[in-house]
Amino acid sequence: MSEAISTGGALERQARRPRAAEWNVLMALVGITAIFEVLGWILYGQSFVWNAQRLYIIILQVSIVGIIAVGVTQVILTGGIDLSSGSIVGATAMIAMSFAQAGMRNGQDFTQAVFWNQGWVDLPVIVPLVVALACGLLAGVVNGALIAYTKIPPFIATLGMMVSARGVANWWTKGQPVSNPTEAYTFFGNGLSGYMPVVTFLVLAALFQLALTYTKYGKHTYAIGSNAEAARISGINVERHLVLVYAIAGVLAAIAAVVVTSKNLTAQASMGVMYELDAIAMAVIGGISLSGGRGSIIGTVLGALIFGVIISGFTFLKIDAFYQQMIKGVIIVGAVILDQARQRKRGRG
Amino acid sequence: MKTFLIAGFAALMGTSALADDIGVSMAKFDDNFLTVLRNGMIEQAKGMEGVNLQVEDAQNDVAKQLDQINNFIAAGVKAIIVNPVDTSATQAMSDAAAKANIPLVYVNRQPINVDTLPDNQAFVASNEQESGTLETKEVCRLLKDAGKTEAGAYVIMGELSNQAAVQRTQDIMDVIGGPDCGVKINILDKQTSNWNRDEAQNLMTNWLSTGTKFDAVIANNDESAIGAIQAMKAAGTDMKAVVVGGVDATQDALAAMQAGDLDVTVFQDAAGQGAGALDAALKLAKGEKVDHKVYIPFQLVTPANVADFLKKN
Repeated sequence: MSEAISTGGALERQARRPRAAEWNVLMALVGITAIFEVLGWILYGQSFVWNAQRLYIIILQVSIVGIIAVGVTQVILTGGIDLSSGSIVGATAMIAMSFAQAGMRNGQDFTQAVFWNQGWVDLPVIVPLVVALACGLLAGVVNGALIAYTKIPPFIATLGMMVSARGVANWWTKGQPVSNPTEAYTFFGNGLSGYMPVVTFLVLAALFQLALTYTKYGKHTYAIGSNAEAARISGINVERHLVLVYAIAGVLAAIAAVVVTSKNLTAQASMGVMYELDAIAMAVIGGISLSGGRGSIIGTVLGALIFGVIISGFTFLKIDAFYQQMIKGVIIVGAVILDQARQRKRGRG
Repeated sequence: MKTFLIAGFAALMGTSALADDIGVSMAKFDDNFLTVLRNGMIEQAKGMEGVNLQVEDAQNDVAKQLDQINNFIAAGVKAIIVNPVDTSATQAMSDAAAKANIPLVYVNRQPINVDTLPDNQAFVASNEQESGTLETKEVCRLLKDAGKTEAGAYVIMGELSNQAAVQRTQDIMDVIGGPDCGVKINILDKQTSNWNRDEAQNLMTNWLSTGTKFDAVIANNDESAIGAIQAMKAAGTDMKAVVVGGVDATQDALAAMQAGDLDVTVFQDAAGQGAGALDAALKLAKGEKVDHKVYIPFQLVTPANVADFLKKN
């Protein structure tokens, strides 16, 4: 009911905000890391953080979902949600990888290649890349158009895409994995001495952080998420902007598909299952408000790092696999409870 | 012309009266493993005099499958082979076949009523317990051959809710805890990769970051083993010094074995299951006795025999 004044209120609040929400997330990251560090010394006499390989895996293992989370964050900033990103990864992985296969494996003709009969093996690396981006763009535009023009809730539109895109992934080769990419294609997941996924994630995150902060695109995104009606009245083409945001999310999911298939040298129909929920969780832990209009990519990156620290920390401490899942769930809910408390406090203050 | 037709018709009647008609209902045609199984059955039938297979696709539909079985019964086939869509829906199929006194053989997927099957019904598959056991025994042997008396191993499990993952992990524990291993294997840690190559890769890198010395990685499936291999290669681990085992003998796994990275995998003989099911059905049709559970053995795949398996699955 106080929607009409809330944009003004938010801006005002932002101006005298004592400390950015990202600081809290950073503190949480440092705190959790410290806990593992202390436990590491107590239980194994070994440092958790002071280990180059561990720092590498902490960020590497969240880079692929992190790329998706960059897109999902922008969707959530508009007040929407994207449940389809994991399935878009699956479908894009299968289709793009079919155009990235090499004609030889271990010195023999690789006749299992999807397009062997057409002779489409050893294609230039640009082909699978363009195919992937096109798949992601198409899925994203469909999502956005459904939401913007048919007015069905984003949850439903992207749920439909989630189911259908997984169907495409399964149908493409009838469940058969697609493997054996060309040498050039493996660069996206293994290049720059294995840091390529990390570089891709951080570059995309930085790019969209800048876009959200300094461009009209960003201002419109926040405006729609804070109050879509007010945004419309102030002359923003809300529908067109929503299509753009979902299209970007789709393309980012496709980029994640390229990275994950390149890194693993295979595409499987089940790839990306649950990625959408991990991506949403990263954003939420990073302080992105699910009601839209509040948060930043920096928060999401920190949220992703918290995820990475937790996974590595659990393996480091050899915590039983069963408990890991349970604790992960608690951390996600805990993060939101903290965020709510933070909001209330700020609301009062 | 007329006589020709009649003669032709008589010949047709003749063959169908003499032939052993076997009705086959597959859960689905578009599954790779089941396709190999189906072809194994068809190949086996081709080599036999007077065996006539009628293979139907249930398209993963329980109701459709039961209709197909009832149609086979109505057509008076000598025996029926079923690859159940839903293993908990097999009671009705067994009842229908038993009522018509037509032998029934389940293949690959264990029916829920496997312990109460009538005399002329059977179940043909591979014994899941063998896969993890074969894998781990071979890992033991390789470690022993490498001159080790004590070794450290990581275990990568499949999805924790999956029966095959639970069974295979249990087999690993049983073998290394039993007298047959010959090497004292310490499990350094066991975690899940959800059957998933990417998760296995991340998991292995996390393990590598602890700097703990290890001699073997025993995975519940090939995808996880390949993930571990990719992580170790990225970290510059000497693959000759580590024994890596998986299960499934997928094409990627066989390629990894040819490349010298994967040491052990286990092959589930789909074609053998198909042929075995047909044999059982024909025996039952002749009134011979067949065990209620016929197990087609898993086969160990190592670099020595990997070439034999490249064209199999």
